[in-house]
Amino acid sequence: MAVNIQGIGAVGGFGCGVEALRNALRQGSVPPRQVTLEHPGEAGEEFPAYLAATGELERFIPKRELRRIDHFSKMTLLGACLALEDAALLDGDRSRIGVVVASGYGPLKTTFSFLDSYLDFGYSCSSPTHFSNSVHNAAAAHVAMQLKLTAPNLTVTQFDMSVPSALMTALQWLAEDRVDQVLFGAVDEYCAVLRYCRRQFFGAGEQGPLAPLELARQTAVVGEGAAFFVLARPESAAAYGRIDGVCLGNHQRRPVRLPETDGLIVGADGHHRCGVWYQQVITGRQVAACAPVYGSFPAAAAFDLAVAALALRDGNLTVDEPPGGDGQAVDVSRLACLKFAAGGEYGLIRLSR
Amino acid sequence: MTRLAPVAISGLGCLSGAGMNLAENLETLFAGRRYPRPPVRFSTDHPVSYPVLELRSEFTLPLDEQELTYARTSQLALAAALEALADAGLEAMELQKKRVGVCIGTTVGCALNCDDFYRDYKAGSMPELAIIERFLRSNPAAVIARHLQLDGPVQTVVNACSSGSDAIGLGASWLRAGACDLVIAGGADELSRVTYAGFSSLMITDTGPCRPFDVRRKGLNLGEGAGMMILQKSEDAGPQRERGRVLGYGAACDAHHLTAPRPDGAGLKQALREAFAGAGATPAQMAFVNAHGTGTPDNDRTEGRVLREVLPGVPYLSTKGYTGHTLGAAGAIEAVYTVACLNRGEVPASIGFVDVDPEIPVPPVIANTAIGGDMALSQSLAFGGNNAVLILGKGGRR
Amino acid sequence: MSVKEKLKKVLIEDLNLEDLTPDEIDDDMALFGEGLGLDSLDAVELVVVVQKHFGVEIKDMEEGRPALQSISTLARFIEEKQGQ
Repeated sequence: MAVNIQGIGAVGGFGCGVEALRNALRQGSVPPRQVTLEHPGEAGEEFPAYLAATGELERFIPKRELRRIDHFSKMTLLGACLALEDAALLDGDRSRIGVVVASGYGPLKTTFSFLDSYLDFGYSCSSPTHFSNSVHNAAAAHVAMQLKLTAPNLTVTQFDMSVPSALMTALQWLAEDRVDQVLFGAVDEYCAVLRYCRRQFFGAGEQGPLAPLELARQTAVVGEGAAFFVLARPESAAAYGRIDGVCLGNHQRRPVRLPETDGLIVGADGHHRCGVWYQQVITGRQVAACAPVYGSFPAAAAFDLAVAALALRDGNLTVDEPPGGDGQAVDVSRLACLKFAAGGEYGLIRLSR
Repeated sequence: MTRLAPVAISGLGCLSGAGMNLAENLETLFAGRRYPRPPVRFSTDHPVSYPVLELRSEFTLPLDEQELTYARTSQLALAAALEALADAGLEAMELQKKRVGVCIGTTVGCALNCDDFYRDYKAGSMPELAIIERFLRSNPAAVIARHLQLDGPVQTVVNACSSGSDAIGLGASWLRAGACDLVIAGGADELSRVTYAGFSSLMITDTGPCRPFDVRRKGLNLGEGAGMMILQKSEDAGPQRERGRVLGYGAACDAHHLTAPRPDGAGLKQALREAFAGAGATPAQMAFVNAHGTGTPDNDRTEGRVLREVLPGVPYLSTKGYTGHTLGAAGAIEAVYTVACLNRGEVPASIGFVDVDPEIPVPPVIANTAIGGDMALSQSLAFGGNNAVLILGKGGRR
Repeated sequence: MSVKEKLKKVLIEDLNLEDLTPDEIDDDMALFGEGLGLDSLDAVELVVVVQKHFGVEIKDMEEGRPALQSISTLARFIEEKQGQ
């Protein structure tokens, strides 16, 4: 069943809100921030990262209410509030709006803050507040509590496949009439430990600039953020076009079948181990790859979806052929978002006007 | 919510502190035995020792060298999945011809709880990434899909303690939507120092064996394990292969508090309504309820009240005394038990219960009890206010 | 710094009550519900706060409940334990 996109909320390295994302897309890329490392092994070293600011959340939720809410959940809440605002649903009955949150890694910083509490002070000082905020569904729970969303609430984690996997379930909730709308989104956060791991894995490859269509080269730049959508059944009004379906599989077992005439947005984000799969299926084809606007992280697949939704509303998309060049705008009325994981797992989301 | 087509359960698998497979689990339950003891697989400097229910023996799996390095949660998931496949009479090769989905609930299985690595990192050394690589390889749903070389949708549900119930309900939806020919659904979680520290800090763990619904209950015992089901469309499974049925699934969120259930149980009641509507069933048709029954004062009070109001006169029990609270696996293990008990026509005593709590006037079953009927209900309440309810049916094959 | 003053300071810091100053917390103000507005999760976090900053253990909530009424009752509990 197709569903309509009624609203979008996004916060990331490009700024806050769907118009900030649109402006960044028009420019083609956003300069990441330079972060200085503090870990003794790499102290003083600088590296780029796409980081999200959540100050605007106070426009929606009183500061006191946020006292136990960490950065991960704040990004989630902000994305959710912006999407509801965009869909004009901030006021009124929200009792049949379901919540589906996808995250590749969950609340990393708080996971480590909890470990800090007992590694620093002993097990009897383990912090219950950090513990309960370190579970993956804490962010979805805060969204439900703050926005009084009592319908079904789901958090999914599947690394790079988190977004298409969670979307599949969101679509089925609508098909089974469990909810009238789904607040669907994805979130991931940066933390110093993640940066340490990525540096050990990828070495100097993390210095940027991100060149997503140079598929054989490691050019990923770490990022964070949240992107949310209000999805509704086909009889509703669509502000941004509609999602026709999502398909998940493994390209190694059964090759993905790409729609031949649709515009294509690929989730290539500078990871060469995923790049090999894109190489196999997009050769000779013009595609859009927008990671230089928000960085490389699992939840960024939801930003690709936001790009698709905006392109459908505006009627055009800027595409390129590997290894990337100046890009040109083409008319679009049908689009597909393709995301590969390193093992050949793929998610394909199809959209139309 | 409209009425939904039933989905066939063609295989069951389960391991926990009560046994290494479903048959052993049932033997332990109906013999009224349980084995809580201080944790063996890890230690802490915590001044108080809380009993847990660990697996009582090592499990053996036909895994290659690399697969043996998967995190314990994923190995538990795989063990239960293989048992369920064998129970369904399905060979791995047959699965590769079908579009098979995997939907697994967990909590520990997806958390970067690598405290050894992190201790070294904090100390300023440059720890190796072996633990991180293991984490990245060990997503439980991905592990099952990889081991069986599947190419369908894969989803790890992280709804805290209702994850296992949710995963089964969602897996059934995938089949109805035609997204898969077959779904491996369930939950898995290992005992970990991190959850042990976390639940102790919340002061909801009992220093003795847990006492669900008892007036003197002090908290839960943690446990570990996995429960898995093979789900198929009824017409594909055929009545002779049906071990049971998924008839209804309801979910709702309290939107009340991060760790405490809503005292009036509004979310649980909403989830129950959804489940009944989806199954086209009434509360009076339920043969019994496998309650969440963790043994914490708040959970059992809320649950007890809702059971009395919505399912008056329906016998209920908690199996947490036998298994401990297995978190993301709990809903799945209990769903497996529910189907097995329906088929057997009998439920075990709700172990740990002795004296009635005036706030929960109707006690759980106190002895092994014969039950009639062909439908029963299993429910889970979770951190974050999630409530998930499954309505399960008896199978043609017992 | 008195036990009460230190309690107010660590309460604000560890429970992230940054919108409050120590002067705004009354010694006899109820910590939970009406009053400071803390909840059950804050209660168990307070047990850790007391352990961490005062070296005083609260074994369980039966022991904790009477102590966790107000700054005054908690300070008295801490002083008694420290004196033992």
